[in-house]
Amino acid sequence: MLARRSLLPRLCLMSAGLVALAARAQAQAPDVATAFVSALLKDILAVVNGGGAAADKRAAIARIIDTKVDVDGVARFCLGRFWRTATPAQQQDYVKLFHTVLLNSVAGKVGEYSGVSFTMGATRAREEDVLVSTVVSRPNNAPSKVDWVVANIGGQPKLVDLIAEGTSLRLTQRSDYASFLASHGNNVQTLLDAIRAQLAKTAG
Amino acid sequence: MPASPLSRLLPAFLLLAAGLALPGCATPPPADDPDALAEFKEANDPLEPTNRALYAVNDVFDTVFFRPAAKAYVWLLPQEIRNRTHNVLVNALGPVTFANDVLQGQPRRAGDSLMRFVVNSTVGVGGIFDVATDWGWPYHETDFGLTMDTWGISEGPYLFLPILGPTNPRDSTGFAVDAAINPTTWIARGQAMTIVGYTRLGLTALDKRSEVLDTLDRVKEQALDPYATIRSLARQNRQSKEADNRDTRPPTIPAWFPRPQAPAAAAP
Repeated sequence: MLARRSLLPRLCLMSAGLVALAARAQAQAPDVATAFVSALLKDILAVVNGGGAAADKRAAIARIIDTKVDVDGVARFCLGRFWRTATPAQQQDYVKLFHTVLLNSVAGKVGEYSGVSFTMGATRAREEDVLVSTVVSRPNNAPSKVDWVVANIGGQPKLVDLIAEGTSLRLTQRSDYASFLASHGNNVQTLLDAIRAQLAKTAG
Repeated sequence: MPASPLSRLLPAFLLLAAGLALPGCATPPPADDPDALAEFKEANDPLEPTNRALYAVNDVFDTVFFRPAAKAYVWLLPQEIRNRTHNVLVNALGPVTFANDVLQGQPRRAGDSLMRFVVNSTVGVGGIFDVATDWGWPYHETDFGLTMDTWGISEGPYLFLPILGPTNPRDSTGFAVDAAINPTTWIARGQAMTIVGYTRLGLTALDKRSEVLDTLDRVKEQALDPYATIRSLARQNRQSKEADNRDTRPPTIPAWFPRPQAPAAAAP
């Protein structure tokens, strides 16, 4: 009798613990996000401030993006409601193109920088992700605010958005695509062709 | 005799905007398409056809005049001189920032603005050197559009005006009010001040345009719809400034003043 009475609360506690563990696996822990961003900044600074040819820098940035950014998730976000109307082949094609779009956009921004330093700021947990604030300083430039949005993607912390001076990279990209689609009959294939043409133009 | 170049140019802009605004309104998407409707609301751009026309006009101006001028400015003058010029221009706006701090009921920030203007105009040689930041009066940015925001006035629909660029009825009105309350607009009149006024206007334009040279080039190169991308960037940036301006309420007690132990408010 005595044994059973003490067993019951223990079981309850154990199951509560399991539930808590499961919940934590879904949401991003703020301290993990902070550590993730701080490690990511170290990687980025090594590339940006380290010398080397533009092509080497670009390759290094591509490696960082592939390992640290949830590119597929960002791609889906940027296509918004049109992700559902796209065919599986179009989705696949689009995600592939988007990898290059993102690399161009980030490499273009980062490529010409040097002498960059970051100051870590506050970390704030939001509904689905964690926002880590930093201040970026560059010589001869006013310091600018950059927030890193980290989410838990399949148990791993991944970067899902970059907010520079209040402007979210993925929101801006999404409104670009949405506006393009609105003026082109909401045709996803037209968007894919336009992205491809744009990439060919910037590469050439 | 109108003395300020700004006060002379503004009515022309507003008239032009009003004239072009008459024909074009965007048709909202049908109510049975909630996603498209949400997008329409998020863009907050019911005057889109007009705005796009004005954007195209501005783009021509920019391509043939403002962008090359800003390029030349960057090419001719070293970064150091451009930074000092920027400092002088920002310092000259001190009285406007101060007035807006007061109108927003921000005593600490008003004190910062006042001390910055006094210290940087004198010790900082007309604002060339930002001494005040090192002396504990940090810079902050505000304007009458943000003042109206703290008063609960909403921005209204998105507007793209030539020269002014992305704005809205509230912030473009704020721009006019800021120009009107700027002492250099009305203190001294005569030819010397007119020259000062035009020089300042020209330098402000060069300073602002040269700051966004790379950003705008990249947007035009990489965006599929540069107009929509600029709209999104401008609105997000402005919203974050509004939030910062509303949320930053520095305490009136100076940092060196011994703080009371109890959470009870100290007498000013």
